Amino acid sequence: MKEKYKSSKWQEVINWAQKRSLFMLHYCTGCGAIELPPTMTSRYDMSRFGIGPAATPRQADILLITGYLSTKTLRRVVYTYEQMQDPKFVMGFGSCTINGGMYWDSYNTIKQLDKYLPVDLYIAGCMPRPEAILEGFLDLKEKIENGEAKGYKKYKEEYEYYKTNQKKVLGEVKRRQ
Amino acid sequence: MKTENEVIKLIKEKLNPLEVNKLRAQNLAVKLENEELVSSLNYLKSKGYSHLATISCVDWIEDNEFELVYHLFSYEDKINISVKTRIDRKKSKFVTIKNLWAVAQYYERDIHDFFGVEFEGNDDMEELILENWNDTPPMRKDFKTRDYVNEKFEWREYHGQK
Repeated sequence: MKEKYKSSKWQEVINWAQKRSLFMLHYCTGCGAIELPPTMTSRYDMSRFGIGPAATPRQADILLITGYLSTKTLRRVVYTYEQMQDPKFVMGFGSCTINGGMYWDSYNTIKQLDKYLPVDLYIAGCMPRPEAILEGFLDLKEKIENGEAKGYKKYKEEYEYYKTNQKKVLGEVKRRQ
Repeated sequence: MKTENEVIKLIKEKLNPLEVNKLRAQNLAVKLENEELVSSLNYLKSKGYSHLATISCVDWIEDNEFELVYHLFSYEDKINISVKTRIDRKKSKFVTIKNLWAVAQYYERDIHDFFGVEFEGNDDMEELILENWNDTPPMRKDFKTRDYVNEKFEWREYHGQK
């Protein structure tokens, strides 16, 4: 999009439309994934708020990191995130993504998700109940409408910073011959 | 179908164990010398203990030894046998049993990942679970997980405190 359209009335219309059609990538990493089925299905029913599950990263808008990330999973999450199309939003779910949670001294899990991916919103708790997830989604929608959820732009601008941090814990890919 | 006591008797007669115990119903533990292990496993396999459930490793750091535990199961007797042997911790070398059970190759790779034990004859020792690991194997008792985490990850600061 051209620069002159940014933060214009037209952008407001786009934001308004975007917040009403969000697709969440169903990619589950930790134990928090168990809270998603009730959130998606009839008990809590997140489609009331215009949020639906998506099967592939290319069709998704929200990447929900549900719990701890081992370094090996982080590599896959980064691949997944980079496949998603703009605009894309990352939500950190549970205390593991915030400060390591109960895995705070584990040699194999990352401690702060926002060092590796641009997190737009954290949901605290170990683990958050579906109500908290829905509250988080509503907050995210508000942020999108106000134009505050700019994580994907930040990722492009500070690409070096994120890549340095990622390489520090992952190292280079070694392929099997 | 044999009972636990019959199996214990059979092991005492045919093999040369250091110790045989009945841990609880359907569970036996056999301790063996290093040299005896492969032939004993071969014998037990021929007697119906054909299922190798897993191989585990225990770090007895005070005795300076690793204990390798081979978990066997017989579908006829419905009995688990844990066959144990202790190896030197410094050398941390043992022989492979991949000729008896092909799946042992992966169990041995797993133990090599987490304890750094080498298995002679098994030359596929690429990392199975870990990625790009270049520190002390993480399941060894002398691996300092706190130091490792301090070095590799950063703590989040709360109001200036970590």
